[in-house]
Amino acid sequence: MGAHLLLPIFLLLAGCSSSTPAPLAIYAATSLTDAFTELAELFQVQHPNRPVQLHWAGSQVLRLQIEQGAPADVYASANVAHMRTLQARGHVGPESVFAHNTLVVIVPRDRDPSLTTFADLPRAQRIVMGTEDAPVGRYARQVIHKAEKRLGADFARRVRSQVVSHESNTRQVRAKVALGEADAALVYASDAHGFAAVRTIAIPSPLNVSATYQMGIITGTERAESARAWVDFVTSAPGRTVLSKHGFVLP
Amino acid sequence: MLALLTLPVAALVLGASPADIEAGLEHPLFFPALWLTAQTSIISLALVVLFGTPLAWWLAVTDGRGRRFVELLVDLPIVLPPAVVGIALLQAFGRQGLLGSTLDALGLQISFSTAAVVLAQVLVSAPFYIQSAASAFRRVEGDLLLVARTLGQSRIGSILRVGLPLALPGLMAGAALAWARALGEFGATLLFAGNLPGTTQTLPLAIYTALESDVRAALAIALVLAGVSVCLLFGLRILPQLWGPQGGRHNRPADGGSP
Repeated sequence: MGAHLLLPIFLLLAGCSSSTPAPLAIYAATSLTDAFTELAELFQVQHPNRPVQLHWAGSQVLRLQIEQGAPADVYASANVAHMRTLQARGHVGPESVFAHNTLVVIVPRDRDPSLTTFADLPRAQRIVMGTEDAPVGRYARQVIHKAEKRLGADFARRVRSQVVSHESNTRQVRAKVALGEADAALVYASDAHGFAAVRTIAIPSPLNVSATYQMGIITGTERAESARAWVDFVTSAPGRTVLSKHGFVLP
Repeated sequence: MLALLTLPVAALVLGASPADIEAGLEHPLFFPALWLTAQTSIISLALVVLFGTPLAWWLAVTDGRGRRFVELLVDLPIVLPPAVVGIALLQAFGRQGLLGSTLDALGLQISFSTAAVVLAQVLVSAPFYIQSAASAFRRVEGDLLLVARTLGQSRIGSILRVGLPLALPGLMAGAALAWARALGEFGATLLFAGNLPGTTQTLPLAIYTALESDVRAALAIALVLAGVSVCLLFGLRILPQLWGPQGGRHNRPADGGSP
């Protein structure tokens, strides 16, 4: 196949996306999936002329995509570190904190009812958490680090040695428990909120962490006005109601 | 078309400086992943050859509807997308899967273990070996096997001492192809075996994980994996010539077989 044959195909593919006004591309952390989907629907009602397109991945993956030039307009990160990196490199403007979250332990709903407190976690033979760069994995490591001091080195050693997989985002972590493949996992409280397939075990607040969600507008985007409208909407009273409904803690 | 096929690999090689590669080789994910990939892919290859060769022989000497049906089954993993294979493996060998409770009773948990990595690799690579081996066996002339039998070889003996050596170039090519496929296995492994350094994180998964923090490390690991694959490709092209009809070596074991 020569270039003269490929070229029209590329033009055709390019043409498909340019025939409608380019939607506002929101690159959001996976844990925001349900809340942002609902927010986008409401936003669409208020701003019918500002189409929205949501992209999901772990915050670290989105950061990489934006660094590599992905056509994002808004970045919503589940931790501060990835946002700071993008800001330091000039990719994202000033951030606004729009939500917080905590961690919980989830277990399969119909297995081992004796696993009821966080101190029981070492009894779970197969534990799943996020990768070190995924915010959910970084927070989980902080929790276990704190637990090492409070519950003993043996607790932390057993938990760490029973981790069977590091997943790239919180919904992948949750899925392993929902599938029944993992005995326990550390995810955000919002992931467990209203999710019937799992049972939630609270992490005592001295051991828990507060996840901070930040949003920023990508530098030099053509859709800065729409992006501004989206950020304002998420931080408005109706936006906050939706976030709160999905288990997020409001700033 | 040729440009499209080669450009990405060329860019991969040209885009990396020696410093990048050094940094990648020193990345904490690299060595455990390399070691795990070497171990699992060699075990997979051994299993594929051990159990695939008899099946390939049977496919080569059998005719009829049964054979064609089995051939279809063998080819199935080639057409299934890796993500489908991963979910299917979970449905079969996962805890909630078809064999989950049986395996549990035996104290075996395959998913999210090194065994799961091997199983995924075997499943996706076996068809390549079996196809190639079956067509190599088909090219072995039946008369030669008959001659060996008349010279006192048992049926198995004639296969082992005449059939196998004659088919060797095809078997080697199939094995190299299967090995390359096992080395690169990603999707099914990620879903069925998970991602844990030293236990289930093979080189492709290490690339995926490293990319999330360090693009250069991912690039370096990718280069190493590309290097190994290219070596396999050359092996694939050169080995058959060494063992081929002009090589002359293929006759020796057969000669040794006659009393």
